[in-house]
Amino acid sequence: MRFKTELRNIRTFSKLVAALNSLEKIAWVRLDDDTARFTVIPDTGSQVWASLSMDFIFENYHIQSAESNNTINLELPLAPLQRALRSALNSTACSLRLTKRDGIPVLSLTIHTTTKDLPPASGFGAAHHHHPNHASRDRDDYDPARDDESVFTTEPLEMTLKSRGERDKVITHDIPVRVLHPDTVETIMQPKVREPDVHIQLPPLLQLKAISDRFTRLATTSSSGSARGQAANPKLELSANMHGSLRLRIATDSLDVTSTWDKLENPDLDPTQLQIPLEDHPSTKFREAGPDKWATVRVDGKDWSRVLSVGRLEGRVIACFADDHALILYVYVPQYDDAGAEDSVVTYYVSSYSL
Amino acid sequence: MAILSFTLSEEGVAVLHDALACIVKFSDDVCLEASKDKLTLTALNLSKSAYVKITLSANRFFSRYSFDGTGQFRDKFFCQLYIRSLLSIFRTRAASGDQARDRDKETTIERCDVSVDDGPGVKSRLIAKIICRNGITATHALPFETKAPVHAKFDSNEAANRWTISARTLRQLMDHFGPGIELLDINTDGENVVNFTCFTEKAVNPSTDAVLKKPLHTSIAVEMDEFDDIEVPEKLHIIVSVKDFRNILHHAQLTSGELAASYSVPGRPMKLSYRGDGILCEYILMTVGEKDAAGQRGTKRTRGANQTKPAAPRPELEAASVTSSNQANFAVPSGSRAAAGNATAQQKTPARPRQSQFQIRPPPLPPPSTLRSESLFVAQDEDQQWEPVNADEDADGEEIARLEWDNNLNPSPKRIISHAAQATPRSEDIDKMLDSGLEPTQRLSEVRRFGLFSP
Repeated sequence: MRFKTELRNIRTFSKLVAALNSLEKIAWVRLDDDTARFTVIPDTGSQVWASLSMDFIFENYHIQSAESNNTINLELPLAPLQRALRSALNSTACSLRLTKRDGIPVLSLTIHTTTKDLPPASGFGAAHHHHPNHASRDRDDYDPARDDESVFTTEPLEMTLKSRGERDKVITHDIPVRVLHPDTVETIMQPKVREPDVHIQLPPLLQLKAISDRFTRLATTSSSGSARGQAANPKLELSANMHGSLRLRIATDSLDVTSTWDKLENPDLDPTQLQIPLEDHPSTKFREAGPDKWATVRVDGKDWSRVLSVGRLEGRVIACFADDHALILYVYVPQYDDAGAEDSVVTYYVSSYSL
Repeated sequence: MAILSFTLSEEGVAVLHDALACIVKFSDDVCLEASKDKLTLTALNLSKSAYVKITLSANRFFSRYSFDGTGQFRDKFFCQLYIRSLLSIFRTRAASGDQARDRDKETTIERCDVSVDDGPGVKSRLIAKIICRNGITATHALPFETKAPVHAKFDSNEAANRWTISARTLRQLMDHFGPGIELLDINTDGENVVNFTCFTEKAVNPSTDAVLKKPLHTSIAVEMDEFDDIEVPEKLHIIVSVKDFRNILHHAQLTSGELAASYSVPGRPMKLSYRGDGILCEYILMTVGEKDAAGQRGTKRTRGANQTKPAAPRPELEAASVTSSNQANFAVPSGSRAAAGNATAQQKTPARPRQSQFQIRPPPLPPPSTLRSESLFVAQDEDQQWEPVNADEDADGEEIARLEWDNNLNPSPKRIISHAAQATPRSEDIDKMLDSGLEPTQRLSEVRRFGLFSP
């Protein structure tokens, strides 16, 4: 089993890992000749299936295993990976390889980087190095010219320091992993959901998240003693129609707040991709039923907030509502440097609740 | 007439504050030792594995400095103070970076007059008078304990290995280390490089999930050329506490350009030093001996019930021979501080033979960790806004606070156990639904086949 690659799009990769990490600590990673797939399935809460083309995050990769398509399955802790990627953000070169350290399999991330020569700290000792001729005789100025005590000699450091920062430093992060046998992952399947009633492009996620979080906090802080248990996990009600509207609502004993977005896009379906005629598709019926026909799901406020953390990827997000049944988000990860490439999709199966 | 009196400028107060903030990461108390030409601040940590000594030059650091030793304090005066009370006096601003901006504000400190008096019939007090630009003068009187400081011994002749490097460069490199690590191994395993390797000694069973919870293992190779005055043999590993090292670097990069290290072999002390204008900072850290490192693996989990981070058992620094033999008797403290003081005093009895390099014994609990080491990590930048909602500690605290809602009354968040039917199909249900045969991936093409959107 071999895996060795250079990394590209590190910033996007790192954001994806951060988004996944907000839902679950450990991911199942499946690599093969074409696809890198990251899956997190928390005990409770929403699950994510992120499929990226290998070329999206890897470059000059070499993958080899006994399985078909050279598939490698790993269990990977996301926090160390996120930490390692963060330190790779300003790297000049960065490579990743599967290896063993002290008998434990690790993904070893090797980063070539340089340190910056920062402007000197504003601590007063350092500040005064800069003005060796600033020869005020006032004692307050700690005049370096009064250099009568060898212990406190200050050397002219600037000359020797300048060019140093450009030199290459090599940083190696070892992320512990577990190699999974194909049999153990065979049974893990992506959820299947019926044709959605409504599909709609979500408003900017930062906005949606700010309001959702506000609602969640309102529900947690406003309810009285007896309802506490419930209030600790407030449920938000999300609804959308096929006429460009999205509604977010929180209702508790003491309050009922709704925010509505209008003029959102309901993307057209591609008839050639459908298995049923477009006119029979549930969304067609919802569209014909007019703007008062809403598809509604209830989500857990805190889990929803973790889901919306995917907004940091800055991708287009399509929400698919199956009324009173399921909510799926498709996050299209932008690929700035390769417009022709196939989009990568991160799929969120948002866990939802009935009344 | 005070034994010691001095005046600090505004900048001097800031530098003193930085120095105390650094020392407090090692110890709760600081020893002041004053003589004609310098004021020295020293501290030894609880486990006696790290010693700090910050020397302030009498005529360069202070705007005014006078030492008038009499009687028992003819040459030197010393006392021990609780650092946090000093810190609250010399607090000027959150970070020393805002100097230029703060200078205009009226509340800033113009200068600080400090006087210390002690002796028979005189109250032992350190009096600090803070004169602010807006005309307010605040006077603080602190009690202290007259106690001879313990100095760690470091033999610079023995420490043949040394290097000097830009403190800022090293500090930036330390930012690459992740959380949860305890030890820093400075070694010369590679070709012409010095490696800084972080690790923990927690052994884990490779077959369990615990493997995945190990902290990130990070190693940074720095070319020898990056160092000045480097003299290190090949294949030498020297191991120190990463927390101590970080704390030192944090102060070093505020104070100075260059950090110098010198050491000999594992199990012998390492000295780190740097200087600013009128200030010299020296640290003596005990390094983990090879034997200790090996022995630790077998015994380390014995204190497992202990919630605080288990410190690797570390050898202690050697106390230097007492500065002057009878001074330990001057202590005039009361209560538990006295007891603690005596315990320390015993440590420095010169009875310990030279060849016993250190005592191996269970170290006391490490001092409570401070938040400051966190600040050494790379800033989270704008990512904070994407963090999941936390209803308990409120980002919109101000609004909530205005409404006087007590967030603290919230019960700890419980996981939802949903007895209601869960709408999203879980993996168990999937088998039934597999008929239409969607592969467990979702390239866009596949999603399309499944009947979603036009491009």
